[in-house]
Amino acid sequence: MKGPTPRYSALALIRARFQGARYWKPLWTGRSLQPSYDVVVVGAGGHGLATAYHLARDHGLKVAILERQLVGYGNVGRNTTIVRSNYLLPENHYFYEDALRRWETLSRDLNYNVMYSPRGVADLCLSDGDMIDASRRGNAMRLAGIDAELMEIDALERFAPELIPRQDRRFPVVGALVQRRGGTVRHDAVAWGYARAATALGVDIIERCEVQGLRTEAGVATGVETSLGFVKANRVVFATAGHTGMVGKMIGMPLPIETHLLQAMVTEPIKPLIGSVLIYVHPGHGEVYILQSDRGGIVMGGFLDGFPSYTREGQWHRLEEVVTSAVDLLPQIGSLRILRQWAGTNDMTMDGSPIMDSVKYNNVFLNAGWCYGGFKTIPASGAACATLVATGQAPDIARGFRLSRFATGHMLDERGGGPFPVRL
Amino acid sequence: MSRLICPFCGPRELREFDFHKTLPNAGETPFERVYLRVDSLTHSVEHWQHVRGCRAWLQVERNPSTGAVLAIRLAATGGAA
Repeated sequence: MKGPTPRYSALALIRARFQGARYWKPLWTGRSLQPSYDVVVVGAGGHGLATAYHLARDHGLKVAILERQLVGYGNVGRNTTIVRSNYLLPENHYFYEDALRRWETLSRDLNYNVMYSPRGVADLCLSDGDMIDASRRGNAMRLAGIDAELMEIDALERFAPELIPRQDRRFPVVGALVQRRGGTVRHDAVAWGYARAATALGVDIIERCEVQGLRTEAGVATGVETSLGFVKANRVVFATAGHTGMVGKMIGMPLPIETHLLQAMVTEPIKPLIGSVLIYVHPGHGEVYILQSDRGGIVMGGFLDGFPSYTREGQWHRLEEVVTSAVDLLPQIGSLRILRQWAGTNDMTMDGSPIMDSVKYNNVFLNAGWCYGGFKTIPASGAACATLVATGQAPDIARGFRLSRFATGHMLDERGGGPFPVRL
Repeated sequence: MSRLICPFCGPRELREFDFHKTLPNAGETPFERVYLRVDSLTHSVEHWQHVRGCRAWLQVERNPSTGAVLAIRLAATGGAA
């Protein structure tokens, strides 16, 4: 396709109705690799695409995205589409809130419908202790100007009647911390929307181009070695999610990251049942989060599989635990069949918070360590990382994500779990 | 990879075991030992514990890209049989 990317609008839809199939063009075009760029972004996932988009839009730089496989092949298409900003620590909740505000307007900004659905996210509480924890987190959020609502059983019954909160059960639900602006975003649309908007700004997206090495000269990176040859770059950004450990190996610097699998599964579609996103930690079986997709399937996920893996094959015992917890919470879904189950590779840092910093060289940057929370931060991550790459200074809301925090003891340990990604 | 073979207990389901940390350490300082990881796509040496079984500490060699378990030994013997 040649020429400018057509703008979507109501008028364009009417025109499309009369033009028929001829109206619909590919969302983005295949580009050829140029020998030299201002910035090379490695990885065409959510964070790589958003970073490239903001580098081109906000800073006017000439950018290429190099992708080993295909646009959106990794975690941006494998997550459970949840967006929220209900974090306890200020370094986290200001950043995640920035992301949530961007989600609210992203469809307009990209001129592409990403189907943001603020259906509410409810963290369910099973005991007075849970309620105290939830009120502490909710208060921290409200002090930062983020919406949070502590619901007791009456309010929860109105918010999520499908829970049948008053039914007799072994672990009764007593309340919830609800963020109403949280919800879901169609994840494939995010990848497509950013790819379309980035290429419209002149970003080259090169698929099936594997970065194999970093070329340096006198302590400065000069470009990357790829399967399509050398590409010169003034700056290099790695946004490679589950393969960030391999980046550490490539540049000869071990990172505070382990790669773990997180799985998700979806049932056959049914009529509308679940109106929000429900997060529930079963005392015996562990965490489950449940939502209903627009297609009607019940989407479920839980905790990490528990050990480093690149297989993208979830372990049976975790799937069983997730489903057991889900059916315990919503007995109505017990007879549904699981249609699909999948897993993604997660770059788990030692404190559960991300890394956005230069690494080893002043002109090499990491946008990594998003753990299992990467999807919801994509718009904020792209904007912040682009500022860091273009100016050398991270914006205030991303200052906490320095790589050096692990050595200086300024961990952002939201979970309070210590230096292990998977200690349960 | 749905089971590990414990040197004491024989083949047991994966849920009985907890993964602890990959080996070797990235360096000698406490920071390097605790926080940094040496990553490999194809060959990973790890400490596990049969925590819901005999509680033995194990040294497990795996291929994290295929899930194949290459060797399991007692950690106490420094990885020797």
